[in-house]
Amino acid sequence: MVITFPHFGSTYIPIKILFDELGIEYIVPPLNSNDTLEIGTLYSPEEMCLPFKIMMGNYIQSIEEGADTIVLVGSNGPCRFGEYCELQKNILDNLGYHLDFIVLESPQVIGKEEFKSKVYKIVRHSSRSSTDRWRILGKSITVVRLMEQVENKVLLRNGYEVNKGEHKRILYQCKNELLKTGSIDKALSVLKYYNKRIEKTPVDLKKNPVKIALLGEIYTIIEPFSNFNIVDKLMDFGASVKKGLSVTWWLTDAFLRPLKLNSINIRKASMAYMPYYIGGHGRECVGEALLANKEKFDGAIQLFPMGCMPEIVAKVILQKISKDRDFPIMTLILDEMTGEAGYNTRIEAFFDLLERRQENVLFRC
Amino acid sequence: MYYLGVDVGSVSTNIVVMDNEMNVLDKLYLRTKGRPIKVIQEGLKRLRTKYDDKDISSVGTTGSGRAISGFLLGADVIKNEITAHAVAAVNTDKNVRTVIEIGGQDSKIILINNGIAIDFAMNTVCAAGTGSFLDRQAERLEIPIEDFGQYALRSKTPVRIAGRCAVFAESDMIHKQQLGYDVSDIICGLCHAMVRNYLNNVAKGKEIFPDILFQGGVAANVGIKKAFEKELGNELIVPKHYDVMGAVGAAMLAKRAISKKNTGTKFKGFMTAEAKIETRSFECSMCSNKCEVAALFDGENPIGCFGDKCGRWNTQEIKLNITMNKKFEKSFLHS
Repeated sequence: MVITFPHFGSTYIPIKILFDELGIEYIVPPLNSNDTLEIGTLYSPEEMCLPFKIMMGNYIQSIEEGADTIVLVGSNGPCRFGEYCELQKNILDNLGYHLDFIVLESPQVIGKEEFKSKVYKIVRHSSRSSTDRWRILGKSITVVRLMEQVENKVLLRNGYEVNKGEHKRILYQCKNELLKTGSIDKALSVLKYYNKRIEKTPVDLKKNPVKIALLGEIYTIIEPFSNFNIVDKLMDFGASVKKGLSVTWWLTDAFLRPLKLNSINIRKASMAYMPYYIGGHGRECVGEALLANKEKFDGAIQLFPMGCMPEIVAKVILQKISKDRDFPIMTLILDEMTGEAGYNTRIEAFFDLLERRQENVLFRC
Repeated sequence: MYYLGVDVGSVSTNIVVMDNEMNVLDKLYLRTKGRPIKVIQEGLKRLRTKYDDKDISSVGTTGSGRAISGFLLGADVIKNEITAHAVAAVNTDKNVRTVIEIGGQDSKIILINNGIAIDFAMNTVCAAGTGSFLDRQAERLEIPIEDFGQYALRSKTPVRIAGRCAVFAESDMIHKQQLGYDVSDIICGLCHAMVRNYLNNVAKGKEIFPDILFQGGVAANVGIKKAFEKELGNELIVPKHYDVMGAVGAAMLAKRAISKKNTGTKFKGFMTAEAKIETRSFECSMCSNKCEVAALFDGENPIGCFGDKCGRWNTQEIKLNITMNKKFEKSFLHS
């Protein structure tokens, strides 16, 4: 059994470490590129959303390298993501690739036993003992959490940095080093080291950088290929950035949902504009926008793939929030277009707009 | 002391020379025709007779070709066209609240309050409301684009044209033509369709207050201006240099940048007009992004690279590498 999984930002790093540690055979699909997208669009329904297409590309590129089992998280979702696995399995079957799909859904929905048996299916070829497996699984979640912690710190501190580009460089260094570690304990110590190192990186707190929050659909926020590396672009401009949604958030949210203790801050914030769930991450988007406004961010950018229903609903509400609170929000709709020029212009102009509002002058170069 | 502003758009390339008081001394409106480098060189050739290298104290570039023109000229400021247009508009009319800009390939709306841009929008995937569509229809009807607006003004009963999509608008127009409607009525209908499309798409959800400035090449079209005024119930102001406002903004931004930095301009001089500039593009194989990189050469000297996500091709050593290492020559798609 050779496992593969779709790309989702940097999550392939902890997954790689996890499988290494468990001793399970796996294939990391080649990093997303235009080739991936091309293969993906070839085999996907035309009007499908962008993440589906990129994921299809990932699968096929991995299959070519020998993968025979796909692990995917599911959401039983009220948005298209909930049906991804079924449709993808169907398409791959029609193409003559008969693979195993292991879809990890929330235990609350499919039952604890079913969830356990699915996890067992993944780890059954591991040479580790059963207690070891659970311990390693727990540690790998810590790796994810720490990695995102490092990233979030870098993004927020970026605007205040003294030496331009230092934070971004450290982040890339950290990820590269993580890829080289063979064991989970080493990965944890690398992350702890970088967590401290970032705090020691010089910052000038007197600066008043432009602070931008990224909202919207989780895949397009986290996967840099789908959003034209918007985070790097904003970091190069010297902005402080906050990503609303993350893998850690997603895991915590799914875990606490049965107890109704999930995302309390977001639910509370969105009360005035959207007091109920509309599917996907529409409510989270609205809530995050209001939180960002409360936290004195200068503006927000909403990202979503074309045709994403929950985000389209959120977009209309964001316009109202923007007007009510005098809080600039720009929406970028992402699709298969690989011409970056239009996006660059918008991102740059939006950054200019925020900078000029802050300074209250039109001229600034 | 003169300030140069260059706006390389999809349809036209505009170059302005401005003086200290920000008056436009010279303006060139050239057709890009898909060859930005040639057009800029052509423009420089024309200006060379009037100005000296040392007269130029700063250069700013904008428009979709701003990166390439920035490398070519040695620009002090390379800015997006939204900011450039907003800056130019505010300096033309202090009370401006809305800027409507319709160019060759894109149309934008910029909302301004107290001299600060507060919101903007740009057309996304549809070219129905832009200059090149008008160009094409004028060509089809064999009417010079300059007279297009006049035709619209002559109409008494404009026909309704579906303006949601350029392709459907055209078939709608042909259909109405075949039924024998007057050309001026059809053109007037088209102007109204374009304006409707603009207000429903680009300006969707935006509040439009006067003063409204109408900029970009399409502002020359009185038919469109009239249609806008009818829809909005407000007068549109077409500034004197409506067709080169992007370049004007770029020149202003460059002047400001230079006065702040005190380093002098990076302008490479009018001799650039004579340089043998060529681009070679290749697919970078350094990582999985596989960017399509275009390298700009002056003879055998690389001037700059663009298209790479990481920016590695713009460091000095790599530039040398491109020339020294023949290995890369092989991977050039075309030269």
